[in-house]
Amino acid sequence: MNKTLYRRVLAMACIAVLGGCDEKASLQPDQQSGSNPPMPKAQSFLVPPMQVPDKAGWKQGQTPTVAPGLKIEAMASGLMHPRQLYVLPNDDVLVVESNGPGTEPVTTPKQLIAGMVKNQSGKGGKGGNRITLLRKNASGGWDKHVFIENLNSPFGVQLIGDTLYVANTDGIVKFPYVTGETEIKTPGVGFTDLPNTINHHWTKSLLASPDGSKLYVGVGSNSNITENGLAVEYRRADVLEVDVATGASRIYASGLRNPTGLQWEPTTGKLWAIVNERDEIGADLVPDYMTSVHEGAFYGWPYSYYGQNVDTRVKPQRPDMVAKAIKPDYAIGSHVAPLGFLMSATNALPASFQGGAFIGEHGSWDRSPLSGYEVVFVAFKDGTPVGKPVSVVSGFYSKDEKQLFGAPVGIVQDKEGAILVADDVGDTVWRVTAAR
Amino acid sequence: MSYRPAPRRSVVANAIYGLFNPIPFGVFVAALIFDVTYAKSGEILWMKGAAWLIVIGLLFAIIPRLVNLVQVWITSRRTTVAAERLDFWLNLIAIVVAVINAFVHSRDAYAVMPAGVWLSALTVLLLAVAHIVIVTQPTTPGNLIHE
Repeated sequence: MNKTLYRRVLAMACIAVLGGCDEKASLQPDQQSGSNPPMPKAQSFLVPPMQVPDKAGWKQGQTPTVAPGLKIEAMASGLMHPRQLYVLPNDDVLVVESNGPGTEPVTTPKQLIAGMVKNQSGKGGKGGNRITLLRKNASGGWDKHVFIENLNSPFGVQLIGDTLYVANTDGIVKFPYVTGETEIKTPGVGFTDLPNTINHHWTKSLLASPDGSKLYVGVGSNSNITENGLAVEYRRADVLEVDVATGASRIYASGLRNPTGLQWEPTTGKLWAIVNERDEIGADLVPDYMTSVHEGAFYGWPYSYYGQNVDTRVKPQRPDMVAKAIKPDYAIGSHVAPLGFLMSATNALPASFQGGAFIGEHGSWDRSPLSGYEVVFVAFKDGTPVGKPVSVVSGFYSKDEKQLFGAPVGIVQDKEGAILVADDVGDTVWRVTAAR
Repeated sequence: MSYRPAPRRSVVANAIYGLFNPIPFGVFVAALIFDVTYAKSGEILWMKGAAWLIVIGLLFAIIPRLVNLVQVWITSRRTTVAAERLDFWLNLIAIVVAVINAFVHSRDAYAVMPAGVWLSALTVLLLAVAHIVIVTQPTTPGNLIHE
């Protein structure tokens, strides 16, 4: 009897190992892009597919590669985990140097191991908790000034009038801004608090309304898929709308797992977001996306994805919420990890890069082969995305996928129309212009 | 498990085995209770508790299993009886099941179920049978003696 049982267990172990063989992605990010991405069946794993290149950094003179007709140069290097960028009205560029606050307690054996894997990749590098200002000097280079220090895992930055709002992981603080200053010594004043338990997804993206009366805050979920319990998801995985006059806030839209970038679509004036979808149900699930964000709408997390695709990992199940879930507008491929978002009506790049969205894809960890690790452009027509994403900046990892030189994050456009890209693994800010 | 081992076996090895061997069984029983609670309630605390218990059980099983491996198949192989060999295999399968279960418990939220609770039950069942096999084996002079 024990022999047959033993064989059965061996067979189970073999299935587990063999299961490991077909974990490779079968769909290209390209095939899972657009308004109607194919959704393979959800799988569960003993060990989720994982592929994390080791941090190598950029060698002297080495740069990412750009699409034909473009050129790229390093604008600033030696930064401390630059995540987000913001262009001030006088064309000074703010670089938010930040990483997670490390406040998430280790509550499972899995977290112990996952933390070690992440640190190897360089994505766990220590953030500066500061903002650096870059200003063009007479010789055409850029001077670095430490602008604001002692922040708490900052991410979003917005200037309204003469007040600079900085979204720390635990709340928005405001600073008085005087044009031309290269340093703010005045301590920040607390403006409004933001959801601050655990901070599994710690980034708080920020966007002011055109009239400066509201701030929109992208708040990520506190888990991949409710594995930290539902209680800690209060006011999480949503876009909050904060009243600038009072600091009062409400949930503007929900069910957005990790909305890391917010932008106004220039032709329609609608709010759009990039969102990181859930992991560990397959290399081709679930595609990350870009979507217009409607007031009061629910986009599925955690109960379902892309409309009514139910996620069985959530307990209790909520068919009523699944029924309400809206399908996002435009998929950009599974596990690409969008962290930078720029809507650009016009810029100084060639004609094919006008009128659309630039997305900084930080890159996958639970997919083989790698996906993301590039800046893509999605053209818009009449306020909606058309066609497939086009690679703008790539070459962030070695050809054998073993070494990671950099990873693109925040994207902005400066006054000359150049596209600036923060790189938090290479600790560099890149400037992309048209080749002459 | 109160048995006096054969005098031919090392006292130190027997002491280490006697000290550590009961720990995994108790811990796996607790993991099963937690898993049943989680399967019924969906309250995440219990699943995370079970995940730790399974890992702890496996860590504490390493030393007694190695001692048992050496005693049953090498140092005392001439005096080893059938029940001890059966005990060895049952324990080995239980450990393999628990290792698989540790990976199942690394899944997020309710993806652990229902596989997790069944694997926990199987681990406990195999260990329980092994213990019963050992304590009910017929006594042979010069071998294990029951009290």
